[in-house]
Amino acid sequence: MAENQLDVPTVTAPTVKQNPQFEILYWIGCAASYDRRAQRVARAMVKLLNAAKVNFAILGKEEKCTGDSARRLGDEFLFQELAEANIATLSKYNVRKIIAHCPHCVNALLKDYSQFGGQYEVVHHTQFLATLLRDGRLKIEGELPASLQSGVTYHDPCYLARVNGIHEEPREVLGAVLAQSADGGIREMSRCREKTSCCGAGGGRMWMEESPQQRVSTSRAGEALATGAQTVAVGCPFCLTMLTDGVAAQESQARVLDVAEILIERLGF
Amino acid sequence: MTPTRETFGNISTTSQVAFYFVATASVAVFVYGVWRRARLWQYGQPIHFRQLFTGRLSQIFANIAPGLRRLFVDGLGQQRVRGRGLPSWAHAGLFAGFMMLLLGTTLLEVNHLAEMVSKNLSFHHGIYYVIYEFTLDLFGILFLLGTVLFAGRRLWKPPSVGHRPSDWLVLALFLAIGLTGYAVEALRMVWQQPVGIGARCSPVGYWLASMMSHWTESQARAAHLGVWWLHSLLVFGFIAAIPFTRLFHFIAGPMNLFLSKPVLGQLKPVTLEEAERDGRIGVSDIRHLNTQQLLSLDACMECGRCEDVCPAFATHKPLSPKKVIQDLKSVMERLPDVAVDAPLNPHEVIEAETLWSCTACSACVFVCPVRIDQLSLILDLRRHLTSEGGLSGTAATALRRMQSSANPWGFPQDERANWMQSTSTSQPD
Repeated sequence: MAENQLDVPTVTAPTVKQNPQFEILYWIGCAASYDRRAQRVARAMVKLLNAAKVNFAILGKEEKCTGDSARRLGDEFLFQELAEANIATLSKYNVRKIIAHCPHCVNALLKDYSQFGGQYEVVHHTQFLATLLRDGRLKIEGELPASLQSGVTYHDPCYLARVNGIHEEPREVLGAVLAQSADGGIREMSRCREKTSCCGAGGGRMWMEESPQQRVSTSRAGEALATGAQTVAVGCPFCLTMLTDGVAAQESQARVLDVAEILIERLGF
Repeated sequence: MTPTRETFGNISTTSQVAFYFVATASVAVFVYGVWRRARLWQYGQPIHFRQLFTGRLSQIFANIAPGLRRLFVDGLGQQRVRGRGLPSWAHAGLFAGFMMLLLGTTLLEVNHLAEMVSKNLSFHHGIYYVIYEFTLDLFGILFLLGTVLFAGRRLWKPPSVGHRPSDWLVLALFLAIGLTGYAVEALRMVWQQPVGIGARCSPVGYWLASMMSHWTESQARAAHLGVWWLHSLLVFGFIAAIPFTRLFHFIAGPMNLFLSKPVLGQLKPVTLEEAERDGRIGVSDIRHLNTQQLLSLDACMECGRCEDVCPAFATHKPLSPKKVIQDLKSVMERLPDVAVDAPLNPHEVIEAETLWSCTACSACVFVCPVRIDQLSLILDLRRHLTSEGGLSGTAATALRRMQSSANPWGFPQDERANWMQSTSTSQPD
């Protein structure tokens, strides 16, 4: 599959112990730590961070689940236990600035943890990538690969676009990637930005069984495919899983990729 | 002659006394109705309303400024009612018409009181009068237009819009109030015979009066008195009906806009002390909701926007945020009928499966015109279910794994950095 070709097989990311002088922490999250598909997003991101010579570090084995799903499934005390453990680790390494590619992690670190004394500057990876492009630390050169010429749409994750108002930066990255395309940019779905529609994984629904007729992901994938795009860009590992399933349920060959993976593909890394 | 009209012109002193008597009765019914609802809200957990208004003046202002802003922008500015095409315009027309007519009637009464103090204080004449009459005539049209559009909305009602028979009564009242208002104005012009700008500043009344120009003065005076009474009684009926119909959103809507401040993505924490003190987590009794949350239930107009954007509802799951609000409201309404210590459990009305269907996507909270926080209500109910072990299946497993392995998949913490190589050892399916 085309997706395999753009995979970055191996990367190295320093831990906070290996690089104590780090400027920014890259929060990996459970999905990219353990889910084979989401792992590629983290590898793509590390490749980009290294290419832009960003001084970053990861928590490695000391990182725990943010507890977002636990809190939204109603298990407040399990969430608080995880939050307190993470806040302690983050303060141990004096973390101030965090990048995360998962909007649920972004929201938890930003809005949940601030209720328990954890105050951080948290940016979604699309925001950070937009800055790297703006500052010229990553440069888009050469021809647009054929794989990206067949139309790209972008699905706004709820916890990114609606809940945290982040919807222009991912478009900025994709806009730069697609500047030479026939479309001249992304193909928008009618429900986009703050009005985006859920992929079906939020609120702990990621962990629940759903009958195929009732899958939110199938209908949302239908909307994405109706734009005629052959690539569905996302900015969330849960959306990545859900929409990959949804696109398959729609019997489409379209690719579902994270914004960072699309940028890697454009840069030819 | 300066353009003007006499307050209570053609209305006998007896009628005037009767008018204020009926007015008092109508306001009394209104106050009783509001008190009846406010009493329900007070069954909830206290919200420290007074704290908003304590401290130094600058502190008080800082406390209430965000609420006032929401009142002005979302309420008066109608910012959250936008976005639904014609129905949004219908609401804007009805709202603008109503507010202007309310302001006009208030100014009229202020002028009346000023006149009673001294004739020199009267301001209802001259250029002010011309602008006043013209503005009210124009906004009356908006009011009627909004009413007619909303009647159409009820006739061709989308399924998400709630409906009760009393909604027709309300719209009929609005229509009758608007029409009799113009009739009173026209009949007054027939007997008063204003000329020039004093007549033309009321274009609708002037036009209607021209059709009755053959009436004698006494005929016009008699009809004027009759229609004036009809108009007055309709208005008083409307005021009395506010707390007993959907119109109650006039009161509960702005109150909720002022008090409710949902921050998307943020939930209220529960502390261990609270859990120990209350012997519970989350909401298992309607009284566990706070006063503002109960009030928010009364702010719901069943406009259905939340249902329209709900991904669970769209995929035929048993959740509609609107229905959750209405169900909670029906439980709240049973409060006066049960003993103080008798339980009133919302979980008896709202199925667990309904609550589990929510994806916490926040679309309902985002679109609600009166800022009801459906998500927090659902999560408060979920917290109780989870604390009672009500979560089962794969999601319960995920929670157990988060507890034991600090990740929902249950993989070892040692393998957390294995993602750096695409051939890591342990892999999920």
